[in-house]
Amino acid sequence: MTSQDNMPLTRAEKRQARRIRRFDNPWMNPKLIWGGVLLLTIAAIGIIGRLAWDLDMVFTGSAQLKLPPLGFENLRGQPGQWAHPLGTDGGGRDMLALIVIGAPNTLFVGLLASLIGMSIGIFLGFSAGFLGGRIDDTIRVSADVMITIPPLLILVVFQSAFGDVTLTMMALLIAGFVWQSPTRLIRAQVLSMKQSGYVQMAQLSGASTSHIMFREMLPNLVPYLFGSFIASVTTSIVTAVGLEVLGLGPQRIPTLGRTIYEAINAGALIQNLWWWWGIPTLLLGVMFIGLLLINLGLDEVSNPRLRKLS
Amino acid sequence: MPDETQTKPVLTLRDLCIEFPTPKGVVQAVKALSLDIRKGRRVGFIGESGSGKTTTALAVMQMLAEPGRVSGGQIVLEETDILSLGEEDMRRTRLARVAYIPQGAMNSLNPVMRVEPQMWDAIIAHEGATDRATLKQRSDQALVSVGLPHHTGQLYPHELSGGMKQRVCIAMGIILNPELIIADEPTSALDVVTQRQVIQTLKNIQAQIGSGLMMIGHDMGLMAQTVDELAVLKDGEMVEHGTVQQILEAPKHPYTKDLISSVPLVGGDSFLNPGRKADAPKRASSEPLLKFETVRKDYGPVTALHPLSFTLHGDTPQIISIVGQSGSGKSTMGSIMLGFNPPSEGRVLFEGQDIQRMNGAQSLAFRKNVQAVFQDPYACFNPFYRVNHALKFPFKRFGLAQSDAHTQSAMEDACAAVGLDPDLVLDRYPHQLSGGQRQRLIVARALMLSPKLLIADEPVSMVDASLRASILSNIYDLKDKYGISILYITHDLATAYHVSDYVMVLFKGHVVEAGPPKQVIGSPQHPYTQLLINSIPWPDLARSWGDGGDNWDPSALEAQAEQTATEYRGDVAGFDLIRA
Repeated sequence: MTSQDNMPLTRAEKRQARRIRRFDNPWMNPKLIWGGVLLLTIAAIGIIGRLAWDLDMVFTGSAQLKLPPLGFENLRGQPGQWAHPLGTDGGGRDMLALIVIGAPNTLFVGLLASLIGMSIGIFLGFSAGFLGGRIDDTIRVSADVMITIPPLLILVVFQSAFGDVTLTMMALLIAGFVWQSPTRLIRAQVLSMKQSGYVQMAQLSGASTSHIMFREMLPNLVPYLFGSFIASVTTSIVTAVGLEVLGLGPQRIPTLGRTIYEAINAGALIQNLWWWWGIPTLLLGVMFIGLLLINLGLDEVSNPRLRKLS
Repeated sequence: MPDETQTKPVLTLRDLCIEFPTPKGVVQAVKALSLDIRKGRRVGFIGESGSGKTTTALAVMQMLAEPGRVSGGQIVLEETDILSLGEEDMRRTRLARVAYIPQGAMNSLNPVMRVEPQMWDAIIAHEGATDRATLKQRSDQALVSVGLPHHTGQLYPHELSGGMKQRVCIAMGIILNPELIIADEPTSALDVVTQRQVIQTLKNIQAQIGSGLMMIGHDMGLMAQTVDELAVLKDGEMVEHGTVQQILEAPKHPYTKDLISSVPLVGGDSFLNPGRKADAPKRASSEPLLKFETVRKDYGPVTALHPLSFTLHGDTPQIISIVGQSGSGKSTMGSIMLGFNPPSEGRVLFEGQDIQRMNGAQSLAFRKNVQAVFQDPYACFNPFYRVNHALKFPFKRFGLAQSDAHTQSAMEDACAAVGLDPDLVLDRYPHQLSGGQRQRLIVARALMLSPKLLIADEPVSMVDASLRASILSNIYDLKDKYGISILYITHDLATAYHVSDYVMVLFKGHVVEAGPPKQVIGSPQHPYTQLLINSIPWPDLARSWGDGGDNWDPSALEAQAEQTATEYRGDVAGFDLIRA
């Protein structure tokens, strides 16, 4: 930059250079990277665990009851065993096996629900913004009405009526409550984009409506869609875990929320079985922090004004 | 005028250097600028965008945007060294001693506050608590001094017109009698008539309080009519400095000469290539190219365009100019012709077909034959794609492309025709190109499609002055070479004078004067056309703006214009305007 190119860089200069590189390439965002690492860790637990661990141990009675994690003792004075490094629950199920199966399940419900919700949102948002008139009124009003309804209330009623549901069914039900805010967001963006010069140019070029929607407008919405997607994954997971902790949702498939529900139900808190509810809670925390970091990072990527040089 | 050497300078810039560290290295925005602004003098800073004129002004206010910094030199305001002031001292200095009148007055006022309390805030921030009666009296006085009635104070910004908002900003600027007023392109968003009013207000008020004025702009004509001294900036360097007279009559630097000659004059030399009357390709259809049948457009209770009928035959390509201020209905006309906006009454026929009732195939053919160049070259490219997408897509869509290689060579030819190097521009993203390059690409795009009709809606109003002439001559050359009829929509009478075959002057949705440009613009008869012509600032001291003096009252002239019937100033073969 200055004339001292051949001199060794001082630490301050190196730091400055790193900042500038980061400014240059927005995807080198530390928040984004850390968030990604946290989520990938959880996915990796699921994948590696399936290969390296005996998953039959999720069944009741496959081990001694209430064993502590390695290096700890439970109230009965039993030490942790190598066979069950994270301990076992009150039904003799191995905690590690529960997590290997449960953590990806929780993520899966969140991702699927928000994928479906986003797809509905993109479709409705584009229709409302682009077509206008009656269609716009209907979509806008129903999205606004849906936003005011607390999802947990409806879902509790639904799920107790359904009894046992599959993960996919649960994701579908949750998806019915995460499409409103993407709809509103996309509608607003489409309305402002419709007036923009390049859309007019595309119209002049004889472009079809679907070309304008998906080839001209959609690519410019990608940063917003990403942000909105991550936000709705968070909402979906919170909703799913909320239902599971209440004892609703899938009854036979291990999830993090269900493990917490069972721990509470079995009085794990007063028996000092902290690993039973603590480990799933810790994983949920990691998941949420990861999602939050990705959301913050994406915000900086799509909004250059939040990026700082120094 | 007092002797220059005796008045003390209000502002002294000495070897001022400003730099912006960026990822690609340090950019020197201002290089060793030295200048004095004396009491009561008006000094203009002229240059293209990026020449460092606004940066200098912001440095005087200590308001440089991060990460810019003053890397050397001095800024002295009377006896105070601005650069040594702390944050609190600087806050006291702003407005009380240096006032800044911003470019976009529409964005500078708080939309949820009435005008008066915003002015009071300024007084209270500098002089502490003041009683209401005094505040009221001072804000009224300031508003009256800029020629606004004092009930303006009780209005919200959205209730004011653009010119009024700009005058409120001026009133706010002078309320504390500053030593220096900085006006940063104060009229760039206003049309000529309002511009003249605002500049006269600014000149009067500055003479009254006797402060220095630093006026920033890019329009040589406006500068000639406004300031006493002129500093010409190019790439952060002051290339020329002198009195307006010196600079206009004997410019030394070639860049200054360019700036002066880039202002088109009515009656002056044409900037177009003369001669070249190649035979235009013949049209197949016998129907007139474009026909308006009593077309009217209403927006709610407002009639934007009163019933208008004309026929453009298009057998010989012509340029028809539609001239008017903002709100005159000229852009509405453009969007009706493009079929973006259905008329409230009447029909628009393109080669005998109503453009609102076309089937798919007809509509595609219509799109191919009627193309447009819009005002804003920055918005016309999708930021997601490389710029060649905008050229390639319609070419393929209209079935003109035989192969990818054919498309590529057509794009390269079109770029070369508008004076762009295809290797340099086609594979770039829009944000990597300048406004002028993008606008030329849009012209190249239209050229590739070889339409029959081109609607150019203010094609050069957002492009730097020095590029306007060349882009217009690009468009003009298309007319004969490719046989394209052009509708040129503009507020700029001087360019319309040179390029067009027929001119229609639009005022509040009515055609008020129409005919060949030599008559309509060369010797206007209708009071509104006269008003427009008289409001153009010419880069010529002899042709003074001030001939109307202080009693120049555009609203009276406009009222008179509304009473006057349309002036028809002769016909041109190939274009029939049906007389109302």
